[in-house]
Formats: sequence, C-alpha cells, structure tokens
Amino acid sequence: MNQVDASSFHEIGRSVRRKEDFRLLTGKGHFADDYNMPGQAWTVMVRSPHAHARIVRIDAAKARAMPGVLAVFSGADCAADGLRPFNHNAVPSTKYDMKLTGPGGGSVFVGRHMLLPADKARYFGEAVAMVVAESREQAEDAADAVAVDYEPLRFLERTEDAVVPGAPAVWDEAPNNVLVDAFFGDHAATERAFAAADHVIGHEFHVGRIMPLPLEPRAGLAHYDAASGNYTLYFSTGGPGIVRQRRQFAAALAIDQEKLRLVALDTGGNFGTKNRPYVEHALALWAARKLGRPIKYRATRHESMLTEYQGRDLATKVELAMRKDGRFLAMRAENVMNVGAHCVSLSPLAKGAGLITGSYDIPAATLRARGIFTNTVPNNVMRSSGRPEVTFAIERLIDMAAAEFGFDRIALRRQNLIRPEQFPYTNAVGSTYDSATFEANMDLGMKIADWGGYEKRRQEAAARGRLRGLGFANYIESSTGSPRERAEITVTPTGRVEVVLGTQPSGQSHETSFAQVAADLLCVPIDNVEIILGDTEVVKEGGGSHSGRSMRHAATVLSLAAPELIEQGKALAADILGVAPADVDFAAGRFVSTRANRTFDFLELAKEAQARGGVLKVVKDNEMHTPVFPNGCAVCEVEVDPATGRVHLTRYAAVDDVGRCINPMTVDGQTHGSIAHGVGEALFEQICLDPASGRPLTESFEEYGMPSSTTLPPLTTEIVEVLSPTNPLGIKSGSEGATAGAPAAIISGLVDALKDFGIRDIAMPATPLAVWQAIENAKAGSQANNKARHGSWKWRA
Amino acid sequence: MARVSIKVNGKDEACEIKPRTLLVEFLRDHLGLTGTHVGCDTTQCGCCIVLIDGKAVNSCTMLAVQANGADVTTIEGLADGGKLHPMQAAFREHHALQCGFCTPGFIMSALELVAKKKNPTEADIRYGLLGNMCRCTGYENIIKAVKAGAEAMARVG
Repeated sequence: MNQVDASSFHEIGRSVRRKEDFRLLTGKGHFADDYNMPGQAWTVMVRSPHAHARIVRIDAAKARAMPGVLAVFSGADCAADGLRPFNHNAVPSTKYDMKLTGPGGGSVFVGRHMLLPADKARYFGEAVAMVVAESREQAEDAADAVAVDYEPLRFLERTEDAVVPGAPAVWDEAPNNVLVDAFFGDHAATERAFAAADHVIGHEFHVGRIMPLPLEPRAGLAHYDAASGNYTLYFSTGGPGIVRQRRQFAAALAIDQEKLRLVALDTGGNFGTKNRPYVEHALALWAARKLGRPIKYRATRHESMLTEYQGRDLATKVELAMRKDGRFLAMRAENVMNVGAHCVSLSPLAKGAGLITGSYDIPAATLRARGIFTNTVPNNVMRSSGRPEVTFAIERLIDMAAAEFGFDRIALRRQNLIRPEQFPYTNAVGSTYDSATFEANMDLGMKIADWGGYEKRRQEAAARGRLRGLGFANYIESSTGSPRERAEITVTPTGRVEVVLGTQPSGQSHETSFAQVAADLLCVPIDNVEIILGDTEVVKEGGGSHSGRSMRHAATVLSLAAPELIEQGKALAADILGVAPADVDFAAGRFVSTRANRTFDFLELAKEAQARGGVLKVVKDNEMHTPVFPNGCAVCEVEVDPATGRVHLTRYAAVDDVGRCINPMTVDGQTHGSIAHGVGEALFEQICLDPASGRPLTESFEEYGMPSSTTLPPLTTEIVEVLSPTNPLGIKSGSEGATAGAPAAIISGLVDALKDFGIRDIAMPATPLAVWQAIENAKAGSQANNKARHGSWKWRA
Repeated sequence: MARVSIKVNGKDEACEIKPRTLLVEFLRDHLGLTGTHVGCDTTQCGCCIVLIDGKAVNSCTMLAVQANGADVTTIEGLADGGKLHPMQAAFREHHALQCGFCTPGFIMSALELVAKKKNPTEADIRYGLLGNMCRCTGYENIIKAVKAGAEAMARVG
C-alpha cells in the first residue's frame, strides 16, 4: 500500500495531551451506570448455584408476589417470545486467520448462548431467570425467592478431564467435549527435522485462567418506545463496537436492527471482556418492551467476577529440535484451549496458532490446536489474546534449552532470530510477518535495562540475603481484527472538523490520537477536530476496537478519505475563484491558485460551501485484511526473599515496535498497563474453583490478586518505529504487545533467581506460597516443584 | 425515611432519603453527581472515594446518614469552572488516566495524601494509593502525576 508523505506531519508523533481528559477529570464522563430515566425499573438475575445442572422447574410464584416485583422471566419465556442465541462469530474468519475446524475437519459447533437457558446451567453463576422490580433492592430480594429445582450433574473444570471417555457432556452435540481439532504445518518435514536433531527439549505449560477485570462493572439502561417501536440501550462496551453489537443484539431479540440504537460513550476499561455481548443487556431490552418501562441493570463486582468473560487458559505441550551448534530446526506444539461452557471466541487459539514459532527462524513446525468445552465461564479474548500463551511457551523453552544444553540464552536467541532482510517472512505455520528488527530490539532492551550492571546488583542483593534474577523474553504478536472501517468527515461552517469512526475505545485515547491524524492529513488545527464515536445514530459502519486494529484502520481510512475531501475543496475553491479545478492546489493547508489572489483553508471554505448551499463532507469505506506484527522484548529483574517466597519486581524494561507511533505518551501509557496485566498473570492472578462444587472461590478483590501500586515496579519503556509496509501510515499497534512478553520475562527472571536450587520452571501465578514451596521442595530434593499448579498436565489423545 | 443535611462541594444539600441509602447512592442518584464511581462491593477498588471533612473515605461503605452535617468534596467540586485543580491538571499532563473510571477516586486519595504530607516521596505515594486500583495505567504515570500535583499544590500554597 502507498505510504503517506510524512514530511509535513506536525501533530503525528507528538505527545498531545488528551481531549478526553477534561470531562473524565471533572466527573463528567458518561459511563454505563451514569444513565437513569424517570420510571425506570431494575432487573436482577437469578444465577445458578451449580457448575452443571439440569433445570427441572422454576417456581416464581412467591417472588412475583413480593413488593414491587413487576415480572419474573425464565428461559421458557424467552423461547416463547422467539428470542435467539447470540451469534458470537466465535470462529475467526477473516482472510488471514488460521482456519480452525471441528474434529475430522468439519465445522465447529460452538454451543448455544441462550439469553436464559431452559435446559441446563453450564457454569456456576449462569443466569437462569430474571427478575424485574421497582427498585434494585426489591429485585434482589425477589431473585433470592425464585425457587429453582436443579438436578446437579458432574461438572468439568479442566480440559484434560473433559476429553476422558465417559466424561459428562457439556453439549450433547460435542462428543468428548471437543469443538476444535485442527492441524497446521508440515508434518513430514517436522518429523524429519526432529529425527535429525542433536538436541530436543520439550515441556508442558499451562497459562492459567484469569480475568480481564476492567474497573467498571457492566451496566446498562434499556428503553423501548412503544409509539415508534424503537429500542435504545445505553451501556458501555468494547471490542466489536456498536455496529456489530447492534446486529448481534437485534438478531438475539429477533428485531430489525434499524429499530435498535446503541449508545456507549465512555467505557471504564475492557481488556477483552466487553468484546462479546452480554445476556443482561439483551434481556433488559426485551423486558423494556414487555413491561413498557425503562429497565436498568448494574452488575455487582461479585457478579462481574462470577460471570464476565474470562481469558487465557491454554495448555501447551511444546518441543524444540536443535542442531548441536544451537540452530533451531523444528518445533512441535499441541495447544488446548479451555473455551468454557459455550464458545464465544476462538480468537485466542487461532491467534496463538499462527505465532508458535515466535520471533525465530524455525524452518519446520507442526501444531495441533484443540478447543474443549468445560463447565466454566466462557473464555474470551483478553488483552493480547493467544499471544502471551504461545510467547510463554517458546521463550521459556529457549531458556530451558540454553540451561540444558549449555548455551548462553541471549546468544541462542540472537543466533535464531529472523533477520531484518528476511521480511516479509512466512513462518512454518503460514503467518507472514511484515517487518521487524528483532535483534535491535534486544540490544535496546538490554541497554535500557542496564543489563551490564546486573551482576553488581545481584551481588548487592545477595549480601542482603536476597536472590536476584534476570529475565528476558522476545515477543511477536499479530494485529488483525474486523477488516472494515468507515470515516465520515464533515467540515462545518462553524469551523469544526467532525470525524465519525466506528472504533470503540475504552481508554485508548481515540479522540486525541485520531484527531492528530485528521489534523495532519487535512492541515487543520487539532483543536478544531472532533472525533465522534459510540452512538449508532451517527456511527453506521466500523469494526470496533480489538486485536490492535483501531489506530491502523482509522488512520488508513482517514488517509483515503482526506484526498477526496481535498478534491472537493479544490472544486469548490475553483468555482469561487472562477478558475479550473486543475488550477487549484492544496498547499500548506490552503487552497491556492496562481490565477487568483484569494486563498482558503478548510474552515474558511466550509463557510463558503454553506453560503452556496453545499457542505464539505466525505464518507469513505475501507476493507483491509492484511495483518501486522507488532513485536518487542522485555527485561525483568526480580528479587526473591527465600524465607518467604515473596517475589519483588525491582526493574522492568520493555521495547515495543508499534510501527508509526501517533502519540508516544498514550502508547507508553498503554504499554505500562499492558505490562501490569502480564505481571498480574505471572505473579498474582488466578481463578480458583472449589473442586467439590465448582463454585469460584475468587469472587471479589479480596480473593483475586490485582496488581497494586506497591507490587508493580517503575517501568522503563521505549518505542521502536519500524514502519509496516501494509498500510499508508506504517502503523502496527500499541497496547497489547507488552502483555505478550511479560509473563515469560518475569518467570525467566524468577527461575534465574532460583536456578542454584536446580529449579527450572515455576507455574504461574508464582505466588509467595508457590515460590516458597518450590524452594523447600528443591532443598528436600523433590522434583515436585516442576509440576504445574494442577499437577503435571498430561496429554490425552 | 430519614432527613440528611450534607454540605457537598460547598453547597448545602438537604434531602429525605431511605435510611439504607449509601453515601455514594446519595451522591450519584439523589444529587446526580455521577463522577464518583462504584467499582466493587468490598471497599477495595477506591473508585468511590470522596473527601469527608478532608478525609478520604469510601463512599460505598458508609450510609448517607452517617455523613449528616459533614462537608463532602467530590470530583465535581475541584475544578474552578474551566480551570482544573492542580492535581487534576497533573493527571492530564502526566497521562495518569486512560479509561478514567478509577480516576476520581485516585485524585481524592491523592489530595488526602498531599494534605498529610506536602512533598511525598515515591514510596509515600505508592503506599498512600494502596486503597485505589487501576487496571489501565500500571500506576506508573499516576505516581508521577501525584508527585507533580503535590509540587504544584505546594507552589500555589
């Protein structure tokens, strides 16, 4: 794709302070729970107290008779009204996605996400009925009074249990609970390489189930206007954006999408969990029509933690074949994703599948990718979905190979990295990386981390009785996402440049960074640019914000729209000046002609357009499938207190190649948060179920390890800009990459700190107890420390 | 019903409310001050923190009637028209907010922290903000912003 001339940019690349901030800093944001309407009623869900149970009978008589109760609805009522399951588009289907199939190459059965199930509850906390009452308190009390007879069934938490013959079926349609079983790569070449290898190293990892946990619990206000038949939902959302969610909600409610308006202005964090629609929002819309009242829903934190879509949970068995000089020859991987009770997204499995060989030139590889149903909360994309999992596997395996076969872990990486001249590079499972300078990333990362000064710090820590360790990881990730985006640019006579786009930010500063792009492309002051998002009244097309797509897609479609708007301007200026359009130039922000003295900028021209009954406006659509591959590395230093097992992160440095960086301040900021997610995964965060009942034991911030201001270290980050040849501005993506590298770098540092005990692996999260136990086991000569949290993960075909 | 009289952002607010009304519900639902947010049910996230007689308090964990007669400051009470409070301005300058949901609580906590100690160290700030959670920023820029905000407040006295 042709690149845009960057020589005249003065906003792009600058740390412009954010347009969003004034309202957010003064309490004037519009979050999901900030909407209220006169006459609104409240809905509260009745949730399953079993992880897997047949719903025998629902008796709501007592609840219906309680004060203020307006209605109780169940799955049978939904079915009677013709409500349909959500279509989550769970199987990635854009041109460059890895093609996942069902067993035997067939189609993938994803389960049915009914708004309220009538047959079974398939995970603890699944909504089985809804109560509507005048107040939230009345609805809560009545929900407690709905009597549901359940026939509890054996439940499944782990994939290895789900595929055992005789295991209970989450869905009758999915034998052995397998929904995906797909093979990639060149089997024969890989086997040949393994047979010829001097060294083979293998390991099994489990990257555990965690929660995205935005601070804003989900909420919404649904309204139905009987006169027009129009529905409105005020809420907050993310990922697919309101255009796709509008289609999804309308389909579930069996209504025309033109009758549904979605408004989602400020979203209090997402990280993937808001990337798929939630039943409560659809049910509130449905109830608003049935009852003729605005219906409000607000999840408690407890409810959020029970039922918000979760992330990760990939078991992987990997092997690497090497020559005795250290050259990587081939890789084999078997990846198993625990998709939960029904499948809302296979993106993590597919994304990871394309990146198993990481940043390295590995000539041959095979992968078997499987997706398995269990009785757990549906597993969805979570920040950098799929990439932290496979990055963890390859990077940890390289550390292990270095230790096992006597290589320097840095030199081993350098030797096998894909070199800049090899791009575009197609890896052994078919992903074509666009551009990168991996070794330069490593050099920069080690420099900003003061790698050379580490030994002195280690000795100083040792003198204090602390074990210091130094960790390293490279990463590469893929940014794909919904291929379509639309920009609608209007220059108003009042001097505003209004830009409507279909992305859906949840803190990523689109109002600022997109304005930087529009300002530079149209040569208008950034203060005059207003980015408009989040309301289907004005946003008619667009792909939302997921998979690192927003900046790349927005800037690309803007760079296609801007020339058209400039052509319009030239035609108008020519008309005013009485010259031919070909005699008008757009230079330095002004429409000029050598044949006339008057000149105009866009804002002046918009006034002229109005005076002539016209308007300067362009609507441009773009479809772009080609993925880009952000990449980078992380260096982490840890200190372990061997007496308590407490891991203290002392230094952390990250290098991220994001392609062209529009706003370094916001990219760095997102990198910080991205690192924090990786720190949480590596050290603190874990969803635990009571093995007897399947009840989650992590239902509040008291039980779940959120990173805090005292558990995160100061973060040093550097942005690298290797422009991607795939789009006009050379953009890759920020925000997600640092999450991909963090867990591997942190565990690498931790294992380095503990290497004198003979410890070569620690399962995540490396809590003080886990670390202390590993040390004690090592002292006692036990190998138990090498086992994953749930025991060694065993592959069962 | 119970009658409460609370000074909120300098304005006397007198209302008849249900006795079970939490202070945060009073602020959000009765006064429409939706800048104070609710992020959890266990007094841990800090999104709902307001200043009560200068003390940072989780408004989700006290009844409105307990604040009867008190002087409450919320995030809406800090800016002077279009001019941000120095702490708010520091959050903007140092990009200490992304989604902005936790931000009001952080700013109120930061104000209490600075009131207790004019020039807090990084460690003071990190420990002083333990009652606030942020999922977007990794805390990095929040720490910088609070330090800068404290310095700016010291300059303006």
